[in-house]
Amino acid sequence: MKMRLFAIPSLLAAGFLPANAQALPTKPTLGGDLGKTKSLFDIFKLDHLYTLAGHSSHSSHSSHSSHSSHRSSTGGYSYIPPAPSESAPLYSAPSTPAPTYQAPAIAPVPAPLKTLPGNAYKFKEIVQEVQFALLAFGYYSGEIDGEMNPELRAGLLRMQADYSLKVTGTITPETLTALRIEAR
Amino acid sequence: MIPLRIKVEANADRPFVVRLRSFEANAWEQRSEALNPFDAALERVGPEGADYVGEGGPIRVLGIDPFKVDGDVLLVNPRRGTADRLIRSASQHNTFLITERCDQVCLMCSQPPKKHHVDLFPYFETAALLAPEGATIGISGGEPTLFKAQLFRFLQSVLEARPDLSFHVLTNGQHFEEADRDAMGHIDRGRVVWGIPLYSHNPGVHDEIVGKAGAHARLLENLALMCRLGAQVELRTVLMRPNADGLLGLARFIASTLPFIRTWAVMQMENIGYGRMNWKTLFYDSSEGFDVVGRSIDLVRSRGIDAWLYNFPLCTLPEGYRHLAPATISDWKRAYREECNGCSLKARCGGFFEWHPPNHGYSNLGAIQ
Repeated sequence: MKMRLFAIPSLLAAGFLPANAQALPTKPTLGGDLGKTKSLFDIFKLDHLYTLAGHSSHSSHSSHSSHSSHRSSTGGYSYIPPAPSESAPLYSAPSTPAPTYQAPAIAPVPAPLKTLPGNAYKFKEIVQEVQFALLAFGYYSGEIDGEMNPELRAGLLRMQADYSLKVTGTITPETLTALRIEAR
Repeated sequence: MIPLRIKVEANADRPFVVRLRSFEANAWEQRSEALNPFDAALERVGPEGADYVGEGGPIRVLGIDPFKVDGDVLLVNPRRGTADRLIRSASQHNTFLITERCDQVCLMCSQPPKKHHVDLFPYFETAALLAPEGATIGISGGEPTLFKAQLFRFLQSVLEARPDLSFHVLTNGQHFEEADRDAMGHIDRGRVVWGIPLYSHNPGVHDEIVGKAGAHARLLENLALMCRLGAQVELRTVLMRPNADGLLGLARFIASTLPFIRTWAVMQMENIGYGRMNWKTLFYDSSEGFDVVGRSIDLVRSRGIDAWLYNFPLCTLPEGYRHLAPATISDWKRAYREECNGCSLKARCGGFFEWHPPNHGYSNLGAIQ
């Protein structure tokens, strides 16, 4: 946390380094005046156009006992009805009892997937910037093609761990901020 | 080739429908919207797979990057650890396979019928309601109208719930009846196109191709019924040696007797299923003998009826007909050949079916500069 008090490395100020993770929290835990003054990091922090809504944890809905909206079909696309011998699920359940996926017991309602014009293009552009940034910091050595790939995912995981960000392997707003990429 | 089935781990005891949402990069703002109960949001991606969490719990997708399946609607079969991508959000070629049963056995069938049938309509309905805005969903088989009661109900309810969606239904047209008037009347006819095959004006030729006596007569009756119902019909004629000579006769028949159709589609064969088995006797090289095709198309178009060429690689067509050949081969089974390298028309060409044989096909093809 003390790192935050020191001047921003000039490279960082010039936008050439990912912001140190310690620089990111907006609520310092130290007492005194420090908490009230806006840090340089807050001032320089990128404003992404969006706000990230808190992601609530999901309960496993154990109360939903059945899947009443779906009728009795057990098959699927060319599914073979389970033979008696394969009545047990094919994949082995983890040793710690995992929460079960319980499909919603409600009737489906219309929920069109909104595709915003230019979104896919914009996404590619951002991926390209992330690829370039990770390449610059030695977390990636693949193509700069705007496409997500396993190496880029691995690079994100390592970079997020190194900078104490939430390790997701995905392009989160805090990752973009750390890499000084604006999603506009 | 784009995979239509992917690996999914989910600890559930029966199949379920789920829509995957990534919310990465520029899509974070959408995350603040309330998620649909059928949505699962991406939490983490690593070498072990992509973890999603929805209201129903966690699922894991393996072997494909989340950005490729973002917005896709899956039918997960937890027992087998697989999922069918019922709707691929980035594709214009989503088709629900209603059944593999069929009452015709067409010589060039690309999807030979099977007896086994499982009713998936509830899943299809759930999936359709989660489709991207403005999508057109294909309905195919087998013969979907073997289950016409469910089909009509499905179309009616989805079209009512989603005024932005439309459907393209492939059917042999054998099973419509006067008694369906009521059920079909409840389906918004402006948003359903019925793709119905007619191979010849000659009953003998048509019946032989579809492997069913009396099919031609029944079909003409039902086309008349479709006309009275105001249904949009896309008449489909696969071009083959047995019917190529009669194509002009069929064109005249369409112009005189079936002018109410919305589109006539002359189609090239697909080298798979029975089509592969019978390729040598059926494939008609339209790059050599295009004359009869061109004249037939011209005749029908001259009567103000729309006519198109489906599944024809652009280089196999005379220049003046290329604008009538949209890229109809579905993205997931489309391939380009070595000869396509450097072709100036590649971007708007449907290419070849993935399984088109390299050596016995069109005699004239190649990159167009």
